This record gives sequence, C-alpha cells and structure tokens, in this order.
Amino acid sequence: MRAPVTDLPIVLDDVSFSAGGVTILEHISLALVAGSPTVLIGPNGAGKTTLLRLVMGLIPPARGRVTWGGREQAASTHRAIVFQRPTMLRRSAAGNVRYALAAAGVPRTRRAASAVELCALVGLTGLERRPARKLSGGEQQRLALARALAKEPQILLLDEPTASLDPAATKAIEDVIRKVAASGIKVVMSTHDLGEAKRLAGEIVLVHRGRVIESGPAETFFSAPKTEEARRFSAGELLV
Amino acid sequence: MPTRRSLFAVVAIITLVAPAPALAQDKSIVVASTTSTQDSGLFGHILPLFKAKTGIDVKVVAQGTGQALDTGRRGDADVLFVHAKAQEEKFVADGFGVKRYPVMYNDFVLIGPKSDPAGIKGMTDVAEALKAIKSKGAPFISRGDRSGTHIAELDLWKAAGIDIGKEKGPWYKEIGQGMGAALNTASAANAYVLADRGTWLSFKNRGDLDILVAGDKRLFNQYGVMLVNPEKHPHVKKALGQAFIDWLVSPEGQKAIADYKINGQELFFPNANAPGA
Repeated sequence: MRAPVTDLPIVLDDVSFSAGGVTILEHISLALVAGSPTVLIGPNGAGKTTLLRLVMGLIPPARGRVTWGGREQAASTHRAIVFQRPTMLRRSAAGNVRYALAAAGVPRTRRAASAVELCALVGLTGLERRPARKLSGGEQQRLALARALAKEPQILLLDEPTASLDPAATKAIEDVIRKVAASGIKVVMSTHDLGEAKRLAGEIVLVHRGRVIESGPAETFFSAPKTEEARRFSAGELLV
Repeated sequence: MPTRRSLFAVVAIITLVAPAPALAQDKSIVVASTTSTQDSGLFGHILPLFKAKTGIDVKVVAQGTGQALDTGRRGDADVLFVHAKAQEEKFVADGFGVKRYPVMYNDFVLIGPKSDPAGIKGMTDVAEALKAIKSKGAPFISRGDRSGTHIAELDLWKAAGIDIGKEKGPWYKEIGQGMGAALNTASAANAYVLADRGTWLSFKNRGDLDILVAGDKRLFNQYGVMLVNPEKHPHVKKALGQAFIDWLVSPEGQKAIADYKINGQELFFPNANAPGA
C-alpha cells in the first residue's frame, strides 16, 4: 500500500524571484512543516504575498527550488489560497461554496449538504441564501475560507485575511483559522498585525525587503528576537 | 583531380575504419549516490579523471542513501556509492549487490548558530549535545530523507536515549531534502543540523553557522561502493560498473579522492584497504 501523497514539508531552497527587473525576493530558504500556523510578518511591500504565491505554486522561482513533499512538480490539489480581497461569484453564499465543491470533484448529490456544513464551519449559518456580493467584508472573507476548505486542502494559505476588517470580524476569522489549524490543516498566513501574529502563530517568519530576516518559534521571536530588525518590528517600529 | 575510382576507395576505407554509429558501445554507467558526494564537489573532481583514463561516462543520480538503495533494487543504476554500511551489507546479503567495497570516509559535524542557544560548543560527546538541543527546544533541521546522513542522525538520537520520532517537537523540522538544502534551511533559521564535513566545507551560505561539535567516534562516516547484481537485473553494465569500482579502490582512484581539497583541506579520506571498513 502506498503512502498517501502529501505536499508537506514545503521547502524553499535558496529561492529568488524578480518581476519587471525588480528583485522581489532573494535567497529565501524556508521549510514549512506540519503543525501549528506559520505566520509571515513584515511591512507592506516586504514580499509576503509573493512568497505565498511561490508556496502555492502559482509562480515559479527565478532561482532556487520549491518542493512539495519532496516533489518539484506538484499539482495544487492539496493546497488552497485565499487572497486579501476575494472575488465573490454572482451567486448566493451557498452557491459559491457549491461551485468550489464542484471544482473539487465532489459529487452533485453531496454538494448541497457539504455547502451547508462548510457555511456552518465558518459561521455563516443563516446566510446561505444571501447573495455573496451583499455580505459584509468579514462575511465575504469567511465565505472565501469556506470555498478554500471545499478542496479539503492539506495546506491553507491566507494573504492578510483580516486586513481592513473591524475587530469583531477579525475575531471571527481568527476563530475559524484556529479551528482549521486544530483540524490538522497546515496554515501559512501573512499579516502586518503583530497582535494577530502573537495570537495565531506557532512559528514566525519576518520578511523585509525580500529577505527572511529571522524565523523561529513565535514564543522565542517575541521574547528574545535575535536580529535588530526583529527587535524593532516587535517593538512596533517602522521598518523602512 | 581524383578519379571516381580513387574517391570510391577513400570512402570505402573511411567506412571500414570509422566505427558505425549503430555499433558504437555506449560507454556510460549510472551511479546512484548520495547528495554529499555531489554537493561537496567530489564527483566534479574525480569523475573527469576516471573518464579521461577509461572513456567511461558516469551519470550520477544524487539521492539520499535510502533512495539510492531503492534505485539499485529496481535496477535503475549500475553502481551504488553510499554511506550506510549496515544497509549496504543487507543490500548485498539480499542479493541486490554483488560485493561491497569500502572506499573512503569522512566525518559528520554538528553545525549550529554561533550564538549556540543549547550551549554545546566544544562538546566531545555528540549524544550529550543532542540531549542539550532537545532540552532547550533549540531549532534543529533534519534531512528527513532516509539518506546516510539522516540514518546517522537517527542513530545518534538513539545513542542519546531519545526516541526522536515520538519526542520531537516544533523545534525539530524534517525537510526531506539533500544536504545543500538542509544547510540553507538551517542557515536561514539559525538552527542546528548534522552535516558531513565535506559538504560543509564547500558550502558558501553559512550565515551565522559554524561547526560546534566534532571528533566523537560516532561521527565517523564510511562510504562503500557496490555493483548492482546483474543476476537480478541483466541489463546492468557489469564490466563498465566494475571498472569504476576497481578504479575507485585502486591507488590512482584513492589518490584522486585524497587530492580533492577545499582551501587546502582534504574532505574525504581514502581507506579502501582498511580492515573492517
């Protein structure tokens, strides 16, 4: 019997990426393993979104290698990504989730029930029939999470999932993220909100000017940062 | 002006003398080996010398030892050049290899950040060093790829009385990659990692890492070479493969290994004639 295919660990080995002649990321070496959420932090423009796109496999590195479970070519079947401003289909909330379930190959006869379950998981019970474009920002983010989870991913990538959300909506999203992580899905997310990083991260990766400055267990990062940039960022200073 | 007859004669002679491409022997072999022999630059040094002497092209498939042995079992290589003696001997005992020849040794070193959160610098007992790393929960990168280095690492955790499979925590990351990638990851994360000295010496992206523990006898790393058994896989290039093995253990091959240096430092120590190696 063959072992099930897994995309973990995701290993970036000396990866660099440029676009339009601009170096966006360079010499990134990182291992994302099963376990608690990995949170990428750093100022805007540091390269966090590009790093997530590389991890998802949406873009190839210009130099270096990305491997998923030891494989260089790995279809994204076991990975899902939610971007900061997810696009809503012109359907109801449940209709959006059913679409994602269809794309994931779930049989038609199971989609309705699964959509209801996923809406419940992300706290959208009672809103299944509402047009998705009429949901609030926080509700749309949760719907986007439900769509991503329709794939039953091993890895869930989230790009600034709570940016521009109010505290109540932020808490709702963070609660979903905790539930997802507790279920065994590896969460890799970016944020520039230090408080959110402290609340959710098991591991921190500080990205600045396209490089990983420091990475390690969240507890150590916040209590005893090793680099000057980490000390300053943890203290709330601007990194320019 | 040459006549038609003389031109015909010239063409006939050239045709007789030059080997017909369809009959020319493919003088190449596939060697499944470890990433350490590749990443350290050793193969880059010795294989051209072997080819110059014999005309045999060596195509290297660089994998972890475990994967290389699997490759040999499937008959997808002619020769294996790896570093896990017990597994090599089992490979031969199970009939997949003809005979194991010791070739060379180097040592493993325990690399870590100069800040050394586990306080292991200068220790001579590698098992005690690993205990300290675990007790501090200091980040450790494992090859995790069934390579000779990974197997050696697992043996060292056992020697430390630690069942790493059960006792690992978030501080221990298995990346399933070769030595170069493991060192890059450790450098980026300021983590500890077990490496063969050869790859370390040729590794440029050291960051804040340095050798912290070395010299324990348990860090000795012996390499062996074996011909894949043509009785199991008749397509194995027996003569060419054996020629490679014979060259490696010959005085000339052993000298080529010893001559490979980085910054004047020898990386691998030939010991084909060492008893019990």
